[in-house]
Amino acid sequence: MENNNKKSSVFYSYNLNPQINFDTHEEGEKIILLLRSHPFTQIGWILNSIFFFILLFVLNLFLQSLLNLGQILIINLFFIVFILSYIWFNILSWYFNAGIVTNKRVIDIDLHAVIYKEITDAQLSKIEDITVKSGGYLQSLFDYGSIFIQTAGAAVNIEFNNVPRPTDAAQVINKLLSKKHGS
Amino acid sequence: MDLKNFFTFINIQGINNIFFKIIMIFFALFYFFYTLVISKQVQIMDKTLQDKYNWVILLITSLQVTVSLILLILAIFLI
Repeated sequence: MENNNKKSSVFYSYNLNPQINFDTHEEGEKIILLLRSHPFTQIGWILNSIFFFILLFVLNLFLQSLLNLGQILIINLFFIVFILSYIWFNILSWYFNAGIVTNKRVIDIDLHAVIYKEITDAQLSKIEDITVKSGGYLQSLFDYGSIFIQTAGAAVNIEFNNVPRPTDAAQVINKLLSKKHGS
Repeated sequence: MDLKNFFTFINIQGINNIFFKIIMIFFALFYFFYTLVISKQVQIMDKTLQDKYNWVILLITSLQVTVSLILLILAIFLI
């Protein structure tokens, strides 16, 4: 069930009533929900980073016989900086890939490879159908999945991938839709 | 630098060292431009999605640009 008491934090993936703002924010528009990918879906790049550090350690064993001390130090410095950049790149991708639900519309902010930006929004009145997809062992265990929001006419459909508590999020949107259609 | 001085320079430095330096400069340059692009994109995204913690993101990104510049200077002058 929806837990309205949960606090909002920058590192949470499911934020109710977050203290954020966005550039196309309209007057009187209240931000209800902010969604990001579930932390478990980030495990891939975290493991890669650990692997790269191990690789650097192993590489150092071989470099000792090939290069001088100064060159080894420089290679280590470059390698460490690149690994840290890889970590930062993935944190940015996670942080700026967000889904926002307001009392007027649903917004999907996508940042691909930290270079390509795509922002899609749909008015609540245009939303026709909401589908929640969550399948497999990991998604069931960690309670995350995808939400597909179908809009009327030629408007673009919105997709929130791998978000935590997808059923709760869909419930929040459905409540807003009921209010909108009820009023 | 004429051709004679160029070969003298290579003999003093050693071909391996020069090759190593060229590769490091190439990587440092590439990395510097990459950090500049990331920095610009983060500034744009900071306006798109505004949060009270965004200053941390901007600070770390500026730090990344500074480090990349230090690496470039290191690659050109110190190796």
